Amino acid sequence: MQRFLIRQSMRLVAGVLGAVLIAAAIAAVGEPAAHNPPGFLTAFLSHLLQFGRLDLGTSLVSGAPVVQELGRYLPRTLALVAMGAVIALVAGVPIGLLLTLGPTRRIAAPLIQIVTATPVFVSGLTLAFVAVHLLHWPVSVNAPVAMPYQVWQVAVLPILTVGLAGAAAVQLVLRRSSAQPGGESFRTGLKRMGLGLIEIETLYVLPKMVAGLAAGAREIVLALFSAAVVAEWVFHCAGAADLFVKSVALADWNMAAILLFVFAMVTFVVEFLGEAIAHALAPGGRP
Amino acid sequence: MSAREMPLASLIVRSLGWLGLGLWALAVLLSDFLAHAPAGAVMVGAELSPPSGLHPFGTDIIGRDMFSETLHGLAATGVKAVGAALIAIVLGGLFGAVAVRLPRFPALVLRGFWGVLASVPALLLAILLIGLFGNDFTIFAAGLATAPLGFVRSFDAVDPRSRHAEYAHATGIPAMILLKRDLRYDFRRMLGSVVTRALAAVTIVISTASFLGFGASPPARDLGLMIAASKVSFFSAWWTAAFPALALILVILCARMAAGLGEGERA
Repeated sequence: MQRFLIRQSMRLVAGVLGAVLIAAAIAAVGEPAAHNPPGFLTAFLSHLLQFGRLDLGTSLVSGAPVVQELGRYLPRTLALVAMGAVIALVAGVPIGLLLTLGPTRRIAAPLIQIVTATPVFVSGLTLAFVAVHLLHWPVSVNAPVAMPYQVWQVAVLPILTVGLAGAAAVQLVLRRSSAQPGGESFRTGLKRMGLGLIEIETLYVLPKMVAGLAAGAREIVLALFSAAVVAEWVFHCAGAADLFVKSVALADWNMAAILLFVFAMVTFVVEFLGEAIAHALAPGGRP
Repeated sequence: MSAREMPLASLIVRSLGWLGLGLWALAVLLSDFLAHAPAGAVMVGAELSPPSGLHPFGTDIIGRDMFSETLHGLAATGVKAVGAALIAIVLGGLFGAVAVRLPRFPALVLRGFWGVLASVPALLLAILLIGLFGNDFTIFAAGLATAPLGFVRSFDAVDPRSRHAEYAHATGIPAMILLKRDLRYDFRRMLGSVVTRALAAVTIVISTASFLGFGASPPARDLGLMIAASKVSFFSAWWTAAFPALALILVILCARMAAGLGEGERA
């Protein structure tokens, strides 16, 4: 376990260093002097030193320190992703388990294929359409709704959009992780030893499936962040993902670079934790 | 997997996918003939008229024929997607397969660099690249943004110390010849699947970036931009968003089916 953790920690550190280099390169692009290679190199090194001193600079658009902007926008996106992750697990785990069973899979397969082929922004607009016409919610996709209405109504559509995108990733990871223990020969051996089916599933198969799910956490987080960008844009939630799109549109490269670094960091940390959990649950034998 | 080794159901699904992609290619080639109006032609009909015999997909808020616009949008999306898919395959899968056979240090540096890029959603990378280099760079940006995952997958799938590599080394086959043979074998076996998989992935990235305002500039509209433009009217005129969205979903679905992707599997 110790060797595994050291190896994973080294991968995490290398990943973070790589993300810092890329962020410094993006931030350097915004410098007026960076139009020729020596100017770019100077700007790149200056940003690298700046990041080394934990000075993230200021946002070109708002003029506020980047740290302050992160403190203002990032919690909203992280909350959206966290709540989306809950929905993704609640919806994705049963779907994944159902789809591992042959007959259910054959029935649900075409529907799941169509859902997976639907881009997140189309899903978001469809949810908005359903909310307006069937539930009569005052949803707007063109501007933030000014009139006062229930807070949960504002929040539920973006969370659902992110959650559904995450559910697709969760069920896939789960199915992938359940495929291996499902076909392993130890089941027959354990049955011969007198163990019941439920006992075998809970004691031997379940840990491997949970380990597989933890190992696939990176994939799930990427799906959630990708969906958060679209959901925040469609439903006008002023979060970090929406801020990233606006920063790129307005050429605020310093802000965009830091946001990209933060997203990469979250992915690295989740991957590290996921791998550690997977290793703890099924050392050496996780799917 | 060859067609002979494939289960019948899978073969049918893949064939349907290829048929759909063929029809899409035909629609792209003949879009100017099939469309009732040139791209971006306004006031072809009354504003926001629902689907009818004259305008099968209805009209939008400035009287553009949605059937014609959807066809032109399909063509614009298709051209970009094919170009971006090729870039993604070359810089992703192919480069990954070559990089893994480089000496250990440069191979690990390359794997690390692409690994960092793969830890950011492809959509964000595409937006960033389009923002940095402009809308004309969309095809390259979408290809480059989807390449890291392909690179990592390809790099991690190849074992340069596999038994057949050892045998080849022992029998005196040079590394370059082995690489060429491996690539030829893999591409003959998986080319169709790889191309359609990349096509599905880049179509999603390109249309989503366009929807967010990156990649397509009016009047040259692709499906993503068309759906974004319909935001002002689709609550009361559903057809302005529904038909471009259906066309987009069909294209991605056909590409996924042709690639043989499982339910929920990411392209």
